[in-house]
Amino acid sequence: MTSRQTAIPYLLILPSLVLAAAIIFWPVGSLIEIATNDVNRFGQLKGWNDFANFSALFANADFIQALWRTGLWTVLVVGGALLVSVPVALILNEDFYGRDIARVILMLPWAVSLTMTAVVWRWALNGESGMLNSALMGLGIISENVQWLASGDLAFAMQVLIGILVTVPFTTTIFLGGLSSIPQDLYEASALEGASRLQQFRHITLPLLKPFINIALVLNTIYVFNSFPIIWVTTQGGPANSTDILVTHLYKLGFRIGKLGEASAVSLIMLAILLIFTIIYVRLAMKEREA
Amino acid sequence: MKSLFLKTILTATLSLAALTSVALAGTVRVTVAEYSAKTGPYFAEAEKAFEAANPGVDIQIEVVPWDVLLQKLTTDIGAGSNADLSIIGTRWLIDFVKQDVAEPLDGFITPEFKDRFIDTFLSPSVMDGKTYGLPIAASARAMYYNKELFEKAGITEPPKTWDELKAAAEKISALGGGVYGYGLQGKEIETDVYYYYAMWSQGVEILDKDGKSGLGSDGAIAAAKIYKELIDKKLTQPGVTSFSREDVQNLFKQGKIGMMVTAPFLSNQIKEEAPNLKYGVAAIPAGPSGARGTYGVTDSIIMFKNSQNKEEAWKFLDYLFTTDMRAKFTQGEGFLPVNKEEAKMDYYVNNADLKAFTDLLPSARFAPVIPGWEEVAQKTSDALQKIYLGDVEPDAALKATAEEINGILQK
Repeated sequence: MTSRQTAIPYLLILPSLVLAAAIIFWPVGSLIEIATNDVNRFGQLKGWNDFANFSALFANADFIQALWRTGLWTVLVVGGALLVSVPVALILNEDFYGRDIARVILMLPWAVSLTMTAVVWRWALNGESGMLNSALMGLGIISENVQWLASGDLAFAMQVLIGILVTVPFTTTIFLGGLSSIPQDLYEASALEGASRLQQFRHITLPLLKPFINIALVLNTIYVFNSFPIIWVTTQGGPANSTDILVTHLYKLGFRIGKLGEASAVSLIMLAILLIFTIIYVRLAMKEREA
Repeated sequence: MKSLFLKTILTATLSLAALTSVALAGTVRVTVAEYSAKTGPYFAEAEKAFEAANPGVDIQIEVVPWDVLLQKLTTDIGAGSNADLSIIGTRWLIDFVKQDVAEPLDGFITPEFKDRFIDTFLSPSVMDGKTYGLPIAASARAMYYNKELFEKAGITEPPKTWDELKAAAEKISALGGGVYGYGLQGKEIETDVYYYYAMWSQGVEILDKDGKSGLGSDGAIAAAKIYKELIDKKLTQPGVTSFSREDVQNLFKQGKIGMMVTAPFLSNQIKEEAPNLKYGVAAIPAGPSGARGTYGVTDSIIMFKNSQNKEEAWKFLDYLFTTDMRAKFTQGEGFLPVNKEEAKMDYYVNNADLKAFTDLLPSARFAPVIPGWEEVAQKTSDALQKIYLGDVEPDAALKATAEEINGILQK
């Protein structure tokens, strides 16, 4: 009787476990295989090569730079999106005339494919015929065309801004869900005690929103870390690899230059980084909740 | 009830099996690159006409955008699910041959068939004496110039040398109003090629006689300095590293650029998008010694070694390379004729634009047939972008890149 009882939970998760194994473990397994082998450009294995793919990567200055830039990219986009989304969600949570329309407008960028958004931005940022330059010129803010995508620093800054813009809808949605779960009587009670709006925000809203901020942080970090279209469409990681992040570096290695072994190694390293980040973060968040 | 259900399934499976077996008998799958909106309809028409003339053969065309073609082929071949025929960039052919996935076509090629081709275009697909591909598309580069801007700036003739080009660019840029002398490509595919035009005019080749990179030579550095000077003197559009070939072409169509080097298809685009633009096509400027070079490109259609229906596949190739089919394709896409009979057609003979391109063919260079060419191109483009941005000096940067390339070539 007891043995049957212990078996039931495992039986119940078995189908999803099999499914997960098929769609997660199997590809990761073949990635490991490709990454540790000498591979030709069509993915045919030519034998074990003592982690030569990994050592080639770490000897490559472009890879190291892309690694750091990926960190910067993730922190800036996720951080920026969180900072923008909290006030936006607070405003959209208030009852005001036209709120529904405002919510729809905010969600729209989410409904458009990321690649299309990036293509539109590429046109808008064109130095000679782009919309942004002519708009700024029309407003009298600039007197000469700005070459937004010509140099790495400026191009990267613009990419981060686009990244924040497209991350905000999803993040706001999570926060709106969080805000609607906060009971209204808490605010009423604190208002009776004479709490100001700021105090309410700091001592009621923020603590109760925390689990949602955590979810948004983890999910966004995973999405943004792996995000390919914005950077690829606007600059392809250029000029001279100065806006490359790990995914665009991986794509060039794998499909342009044909080094599938090194490209697989990059993706394993990315997987490892994300896994470690997620484990540490979930642990920290759990501990906080217990405390 | 149950037996009826079973029966239905059984008959469905059987008929499905019958269908697939019929389909397998003469199915030829063809992966084609989408050159323009006309590519898909052209091949659909070819498929229909060919199937009508050859009952039992089923042609299946897959149209793939150029940007993802190599990626698709890589994954298809890796999984063993590639088509029977595919268009590829001829510069990739060496990888296909080395990995033994391309079928030599010599067994099928008759002397009559071979004689249909202009030799310059067939030769890049020949490796170790075997023909592995047929040139489905051929192109070269020449210099487009805006006649209206030339007139306004008081320039009577297109420049013949790089010095004349600089002088002309100065006059055009001096017109002001967002007009620039020379359109310089500094981003994405063929950024390196755009520089080779200047490099070839200095008598330098991509690879020298010993198979080493020519980038470190004095001529190559001089060529980079020509471009850098044009940028520094504001004779090119600003922010060159954010302009891909298409971006520069768009500026040319808008009449904002005096001169640019690009392929014949720009003529077709101008005809459709900017019919009022007055332009001419001239030779690429020469260097001090009179040397000049244009970039010749062919795309090949190849047969895969693992194809089950080689006879049928070849028949389809034979059909595609008949004069009429070729003419329809080449004229629709704006390529150069690869077929001798086709080249004699009035369309080509009386076309001044195309004549400028065909005149340059004797000085055409094709991408060198070396493994790792894509990596060499990437390294070269990276170095050029840094030079254009002014982050590095041409001298040191090109010499360092030459070393790197030599390292890649030795592997």
